[in-house]
Amino acid sequence: MQVRILLVEDDERIRQALGLALGDEGFDVEDAASGELALRRLDAETFDVVLLDLGLPGVDGLDVCRTLRSRGDLPIIVVTARTDAHDVISGLEAGADDYVTKPLMASVLAARIRALLRRRGPGRVGDTLRVGDIVIRPQEGLVHRGGSEVHLTRTEFRLLVELAGAHGRIVSREQLLQRVWGYDYFGDTRLLDVHIRRLRRKIEPNPDDPAVVLTVRGSGYRIHT
Amino acid sequence: MRRLSLHWRVALILGFGTLLVTSVLAIATWNLASGYMLRQREGSAVRQAEVNVRLVEKSLDSGGLDELLTGLTTGPDSSILVLRPGKLLTAGRPVDAGALPDSLLDMGRRGVSARQRIIVNDLPMIAVTMPVANAVYVELFPLEQLDRTFQYISGLLITGTIASAVLGALMGSWASKRALRPLSELNAAARRIASGDLQARLPAQGDPDLKALAEKFNSTVAELEQRVLRDSRFASDVSHELRSPLTTMVNAGEVLRRRLSLLPGPAGQALTLLTSEVDRFARMVVDLLEISRDDQTDERLCEEVDLGALVRNVVATRPQLAEVPIEVAESPVVVLADRRRLDRVLTNLLDNAERHAGGPVRLAVTRAADCVRLEVDDAGPGVPPELRERIFERFARGTRGGDSGSGLGLALVSEHVKRHGGRVWVQDRCPIGAQFVVELPCAG
Repeated sequence: MQVRILLVEDDERIRQALGLALGDEGFDVEDAASGELALRRLDAETFDVVLLDLGLPGVDGLDVCRTLRSRGDLPIIVVTARTDAHDVISGLEAGADDYVTKPLMASVLAARIRALLRRRGPGRVGDTLRVGDIVIRPQEGLVHRGGSEVHLTRTEFRLLVELAGAHGRIVSREQLLQRVWGYDYFGDTRLLDVHIRRLRRKIEPNPDDPAVVLTVRGSGYRIHT
Repeated sequence: MRRLSLHWRVALILGFGTLLVTSVLAIATWNLASGYMLRQREGSAVRQAEVNVRLVEKSLDSGGLDELLTGLTTGPDSSILVLRPGKLLTAGRPVDAGALPDSLLDMGRRGVSARQRIIVNDLPMIAVTMPVANAVYVELFPLEQLDRTFQYISGLLITGTIASAVLGALMGSWASKRALRPLSELNAAARRIASGDLQARLPAQGDPDLKALAEKFNSTVAELEQRVLRDSRFASDVSHELRSPLTTMVNAGEVLRRRLSLLPGPAGQALTLLTSEVDRFARMVVDLLEISRDDQTDERLCEEVDLGALVRNVVATRPQLAEVPIEVAESPVVVLADRRRLDRVLTNLLDNAERHAGGPVRLAVTRAADCVRLEVDDAGPGVPPELRERIFERFARGTRGGDSGSGLGLALVSEHVKRHGGRVWVQDRCPIGAQFVVELPCAG
């Protein structure tokens, strides 16, 4: 089945060029010129991935991102023209699964989209995992904490599965980046740091003093078993 | 000689000043007090001698002079001599008449009363001489007690002078430190600004002398901060404005490149030229923006990075480097660094080797005393000595023909390495090729 992408971008020419190039990569690309239009289309139709420019007029890209996140775990890749840590981190904090900076190549973007869509699968481990009062069922893609379901995005979910699957061993940051995001490692640990933070907010009793996902300084993270 | 700091100079000047004033006062006091006490002692000695002379005069006529003289000596150290022609009478502490100064005795012989301070047998004395009939009367009074008093007073004065000089120096030190405190605040604020913290300000000063300086300083820094903000906003806007059309161009190029076979001949050639130049242009803009961002803001995110692991990870993303040997001295080799920048350093060095020397032939991470080294070796033509510094400058490319680089790759390497407190250079590799060496300080 063809992957349906919604490209939210206010620049007409970028919209056209990216639409053509992503079409060449085999995607079914629809576009929206503003946040309002994007939200309206997302209400009516289903998409597999949203490409979201952060610098939109009207409803800000970050707001669109937050709104979409509150509705479910639709994969979101934010596109930003600014590379400052601030812009990237706020986009990821708003719930994006990944980010790319302009000028982006459709081929790179395509690799990222495919990696993101693969994240739903069971990964390396298939059996039910238990970490304290957290139960992870990779086959069904469900996480329960103390009996009630925790809603994770597929990226957060995959991150948790990779950490829990190591059974308390340290998983290096590079390993996590490669296994979860899957594309060429480029040392951008902001992606990982923000997702760890998001994960902690959802599964830790006290996110400021993590007891489940522990940081190992200088090497990576590990699950407290 | 190194110039002393203001603080020490003030302390020394105050110390010397106090020393000078107190020593003048001490000398004056000494002179007045010692003179007065000596005069008192001399006066009493003369009075005593006058009384004694009268008694001696009487007994010269009546005899029994010896007993009288013995009775007249006032203490164990005092002596009385009566020099008569051809005969010397002494009493009390024995004294050799030859030890007395001739001038004094001459005065006595000539019938003049006189007194003089002398040292007899290592003891300070006052010798009083008076004429008696046809003889000379000499009485020696010990000054030992007075001398002890003098020693006590002089000791007191010297100690006091030294103490006040030290006190003066200490006060000078304290006062100058106090007076210079706003200056050290200024210094601290300036240092914070120099290290990039433009929010640093001086606290409001109560002292009218310092108020103007602090206000001027703060307003200058505020202007500087505004300017830096404006500049970075401008760079950010430029960045945005350049990146958008580039995105369109790069992707439109990609679409065209896929259809290259549809354009035969010159049109196809022109298209290849166009798309490859667009790609190069895009790389250049990205590098340029990264360098200009480096110039302005410092968003250092330092963490402990295992250099060996980093090299293996970067190499793992390049299938063409699978055969290149990687030598890692020991693991982990940890540096405190911004991972993204270090990645960029290695990526650019690898790109450089691939572009100009047919790719790297060896990578190594070694450890020295207090630094770690990353070496990238190639077997290419090498870099001539006169270009070895220049290649790390912006847009300084060796050969332009067929070059697809941005001209900023090695400049970015150099900037990133400098930012980490390290250095980078290129040297000859044996037997052929070049070796790029990045040296970074160790973590911790």
